[in-house]
Amino acid sequence: MKILIVEDEAKTGDYLRQGLAEAGFTADLVRNGVDGMHEGLAGDHDLLILDVNLPGLDGWQVLKALRAAGRDLPVLFLTARDQVEDRVKGLELGADDYLIKPFAFSELLARVRTLLRRDRIREVRTLALADLELDILKRRATRAGKRIDLTAKEFALLELFLRRQGEVLSRSFIASQVWDMNFDSDTNVVEVAIRRLRAKVDDDFTPRLIHTLRGMGYVMEIR
Amino acid sequence: MASWRHSITLRLSLAFAALATLVFAALGVYLGRSADAHMAELDAHELLGKLTLVRNVGARENSPEALAARLGDALVGEHGVMVAVDGEKGAIFRWPADGPAAGLVTATASVGETPVRLALGGRDFRVVAGTVHTAWGEPARVVVARDIRHHTDFLDELQRDFWLALVAAALLTMIVGIVVARRGMQPVRAIAAAAGRISAGQLAERIPEANVPPELAELVSAFNAMLGRLEESFQRLSDFSADLAHELRTPLHALRMQTEVSLTKPRNGDEYRDLLASSLEEYERLSRMIADMLFLAKAEHGLVIPQKETLALMDLCRQLVDYYGILAELLQLDLDGENLAIEGDRLMLQRAIGNLLVNAIQHTPAPGRVTLTVRRHDGMAEIVVGNSGPQIPAAALRTIFERFVRADQGGEGSGLGLAIARSIVRAHGGSITARSSATGTEFIVALPLAETPAG
Repeated sequence: MKILIVEDEAKTGDYLRQGLAEAGFTADLVRNGVDGMHEGLAGDHDLLILDVNLPGLDGWQVLKALRAAGRDLPVLFLTARDQVEDRVKGLELGADDYLIKPFAFSELLARVRTLLRRDRIREVRTLALADLELDILKRRATRAGKRIDLTAKEFALLELFLRRQGEVLSRSFIASQVWDMNFDSDTNVVEVAIRRLRAKVDDDFTPRLIHTLRGMGYVMEIR
Repeated sequence: MASWRHSITLRLSLAFAALATLVFAALGVYLGRSADAHMAELDAHELLGKLTLVRNVGARENSPEALAARLGDALVGEHGVMVAVDGEKGAIFRWPADGPAAGLVTATASVGETPVRLALGGRDFRVVAGTVHTAWGEPARVVVARDIRHHTDFLDELQRDFWLALVAAALLTMIVGIVVARRGMQPVRAIAAAAGRISAGQLAERIPEANVPPELAELVSAFNAMLGRLEESFQRLSDFSADLAHELRTPLHALRMQTEVSLTKPRNGDEYRDLLASSLEEYERLSRMIADMLFLAKAEHGLVIPQKETLALMDLCRQLVDYYGILAELLQLDLDGENLAIEGDRLMLQRAIGNLLVNAIQHTPAPGRVTLTVRRHDGMAEIVVGNSGPQIPAAALRTIFERFVRADQGGEGSGLGLAIARSIVRAHGGSITARSSATGTEFIVALPLAETPAG
């Protein structure tokens, strides 16, 4: 998967590229709007990460030019200004998602993956990792053949982890996906919820599947 | 010169000068006319007097010769007067004997007893004529003319002097106008000077309203009121900056300490990982705080505009209880009430009520009770967040919604939650109050009900 990053701020751009490369993407970085437009038009990228404040041609103009030329790759724009108009404008111009700076890198990664898989969502009946199995239709979870009783929210949380195996999920992403809480809250609700989920699906079993990445969030994988 | 084009001083003084000129000119014309009329009357009086004299003499003298001799005697010393008497057979008398008096009678055939202006031999005269019934029976025509050059000279001179006076008066009124206008503008200059003295550090400066003319009083008081508002906002902004600096300094200090200490000696990878993770947590707190402060700053300036939709309050609250209830493991958390509809921004209200709920949960020692109630009260939708926590002292309750005020010293949280809740509620045209007693504390949010009930 090739991702084009248009970001003029040197450090942000470099770390975005490094982070995305380390997450397994091929990431190209350009540092102004004009190059961004050329690369976006000429390149074969699958996704565009676009900073709005750019020297020369700003992000909106780049986005407009791409959409006008018929390039319909998913666009995630980054803005430093938390203004409703900004968000609305970006989405109206044909962007697919946005993030407000400063954001957690894991959050960006989660959004990027969502955007890239958007067009190939497949309906699955069951999700599984190691000996953990989730029957989506019957709303039933088992580990090593033993039935686990989960509340609705715990089930949703586990389903999210299983669908996003190997991805780091930030607290705010989890809160937004599971509880539809779309604002940053400095409470440890997610921590508590995960602690409880672990008590049910992880504590009495090996291997452990839910791992904490301090400062980043959580990941479900076999280590 | 561009500045002069719209100068009030210039316009006022020009208007003064123009008005003065107009008044003087009208007065001059009037005076000139009346002087002229007065002169004409004097002349008429004299002319008719001479005519009467000739008639009286003519009625008494028995021959033309005697008449001429008598008239000659009577007119001795008269300058500027011409008298001519003609009988049927020709000239009887001429005064003065030579000059234009010779042709006087023929030139004035149409003149009667009403004085008429005539030019004779290059000079201006006023003339009357009449008939004399002489003692010897012969009717005679008398013409009396008065040279009026000294009158017209006098009037001309008067007029010249008058125009000079007019120009002088116009100039004088203009100068006086400039002086008066300048003086009238003095308070305006005082306002400008005061405005010039005002800077961020001296917003307490005011223009004294005592000596201001009534025409400018409104301007001055509006200006002072503006300064008052500026001073207030500026004070708020300074407080805000001071608070912000203080609140940011604490986590920054911690970050700096732990980084410095970590760098004092080589450490293994795990230790560095721990350090970075711990720093990341602090960074997150910092950026959340900055975002919250920005939100509050925007709210204070009326820039927080809710994206309104119709919301069912019980549904909204149930979602919050679902989420934050996880934190209330050892508490009893009850949701109760009517599913009232309001118009509001879902995200903002989630945040506001969520903050109140978290606050209640965190301040209730186990085993305790937190209640969330939606009810109708005084035509408003009320959301009551109650808890069985300890009583908040009245003094603390008064400032509880101010930013960075924490009811319990050293409590966790940014100290912005309740301030944010209040600004969100206010942006929705609602109100928020808190009351506390020995049995518990209640935060009450009142929001306007929606026109149409929620579906």
